[in-house]
Amino acid sequence: MPGLLRRLRPRPQWLLLVPALTLLAWILLVPLGNSFLRSVGNGDWTLRHYESLFTDGVTMRVLVRTALTAAAVTVIAFLLGYPYAYLMTRVGPRMRGVLLIIVLIPFWTSVMARNYAWIVILQRNGPVHSFFELFGLDVVLYGTVAGVTVAMSQVLLPFMVLPLFSALSGIDRRLLLAARGLGSHPLVAFWKIYWPLSRAGVVAGLILVFTLSLGFYVTPALLGSPQQSLVAQLLGQRTTLLLDFSGAGALGMLVLVVTLVLVAWANRLGGTISAIGVVAAARTKDQP
Amino acid sequence: MVLRTSRVLAVLVATAVVSMTAACGGDEPAAAVDPEGDVKLTFVAYGGVGQDAMIKHYQEPYTKAHPNVTFTNTSPPDVAQVKAQVESGAVLWDVVATAPAAATQNCGTLFEPLDFSGVDKSNLAEGTIGKCYIGNFINASPFAYRTEAFPDPSKAPKTIKDFFDVQNFPGQRGILTNLQNGILEYPLLADGVAPDALYPLDVDRSLKKLNTIRKVTTFAPNVGALQQAVGSKQVDMFLLADARLVPLMDEGADITVVWDVTVASINCFAVPKGSPKKVAAERFLSTVVSPEAVAGISEALGTAPVNLAAKPNLSENAKKVEVYGDANTGKTVLQDVQWYADNFNEVTAKLTNWLAG
Repeated sequence: MPGLLRRLRPRPQWLLLVPALTLLAWILLVPLGNSFLRSVGNGDWTLRHYESLFTDGVTMRVLVRTALTAAAVTVIAFLLGYPYAYLMTRVGPRMRGVLLIIVLIPFWTSVMARNYAWIVILQRNGPVHSFFELFGLDVVLYGTVAGVTVAMSQVLLPFMVLPLFSALSGIDRRLLLAARGLGSHPLVAFWKIYWPLSRAGVVAGLILVFTLSLGFYVTPALLGSPQQSLVAQLLGQRTTLLLDFSGAGALGMLVLVVTLVLVAWANRLGGTISAIGVVAAARTKDQP
Repeated sequence: MVLRTSRVLAVLVATAVVSMTAACGGDEPAAAVDPEGDVKLTFVAYGGVGQDAMIKHYQEPYTKAHPNVTFTNTSPPDVAQVKAQVESGAVLWDVVATAPAAATQNCGTLFEPLDFSGVDKSNLAEGTIGKCYIGNFINASPFAYRTEAFPDPSKAPKTIKDFFDVQNFPGQRGILTNLQNGILEYPLLADGVAPDALYPLDVDRSLKKLNTIRKVTTFAPNVGALQQAVGSKQVDMFLLADARLVPLMDEGADITVVWDVTVASINCFAVPKGSPKKVAAERFLSTVVSPEAVAGISEALGTAPVNLAAKPNLSENAKKVEVYGDANTGKTVLQDVQWYADNFNEVTAKLTNWLAG
């Protein structure tokens, strides 16, 4: 230890990290280590709990369902978020402020209020059901994965828009002008110049939304049904009902590993480990 | 850059190791608290009106008679939380509301064996007292329907078989996925199993019967969700707990209870293993089945009392769902605590797989 401290002395700025790291160690690393130890049998060193994830007939199905739901949410958020973020870079500062507020409102609203509002909207005889009835269709989204997907897309939209906006607003539009001047079609100019430059923001948004979707609990629990549960509900049930801390630990570890692999992969794609930092920067820079 | 990162990691690991070592030091069992001295019992129930009623009818009279005993109230009574407290050797809860099957399944490991030999058992419902628990009220989940969904009484459901008869009784069904509310018993009863021959439950047969209504059924993960679904007319017929039918009717919902066979279960209290205040908690719990106390709880919740000598003064609506009252013209099945305690994990896994499939 003293050796380590001495080596740190020339760079005292590292000391700034100590409070955060201590807190992180206590509230993240210790419980995480504990979960891991339980998942491998608490000293028995067994992979039994991991094995049963693949053989119990339900975990894999729920995991695949969760991944597909997360992918759908990510695609929807991207399709809505990209044009929106683009528009934000093209309007005046006042309008940009308004657009930013609109996208941030979900951030500022209580999770429970938002989800209960979705229940009212999606349930039988709610506005969505009535709308489909106009066409003679009996569509009730409440209690389905589709309903959960719609609600999650709304909740997670800011996590797509903010990194995208941050990336798009840094692009020098004179490059597009130059491309046009050299005879390029606007669509080609967009595809060959604008899109590659925006890719870092795109990857950041996709990864943020996808990883957050994987762990969503409240929205699926309230808007979905036990018949179509997602992985967080399965985790909750394993912990609170079956008291199977080891099985829950193994499931949690599996999800964590999947997430970390994805983040690492995305990091190679577009240098986006700072995705969350980008969001923070975008928020502080442009909040009116 | 690489060097720096490794240093940060080193600090991180060092901190983690120190923290972990510190965290492992707290396994000493706490010394027992003298039940005659000042004792503050931490009482954990489901919150809301139920817990308010428990404060009024259990705790306040007890503190009046035993001024050295006071209470701290908290909720919800999560068994996972009990397990975490017991395993870490830091038991903070003294009295926990739970299901008798959970208390029996974890008797001696998560919950203290309790001595209720001094309690007068002559008027208690069967199964009120177990090795590790004492019951406080009985919850029934009768078959009921929204009256306006079946306006013609001659064409309305009459037996539990009708709940599973999609052809003659169309409409959306609502079922709770909690085992305590009869999700496995009702299908068997509708399939022709006699009420006194239910246990051991044939779970596969029950799930097979549930398959027949799966497409027209909303499976609710908790009572609040099903109560909401009934209140907003999402479901037409349902198996909902009596304590939730009363507020719905109080709010003006027109509900008819079908008294054919009704499944009921006991709710209980248990003491987490290693609670330093076990003796004081046990003494307090000996008083919760007194006729006056359980009558007060029934009046507040619309549930049935475990003490049959209790004479609750029920509201009009509560009388309509009173499982041991005059309204119930059918049979009543009380869930088999021991069977659930022995089979809880296996049954839960089977049901979860069926639901997710």
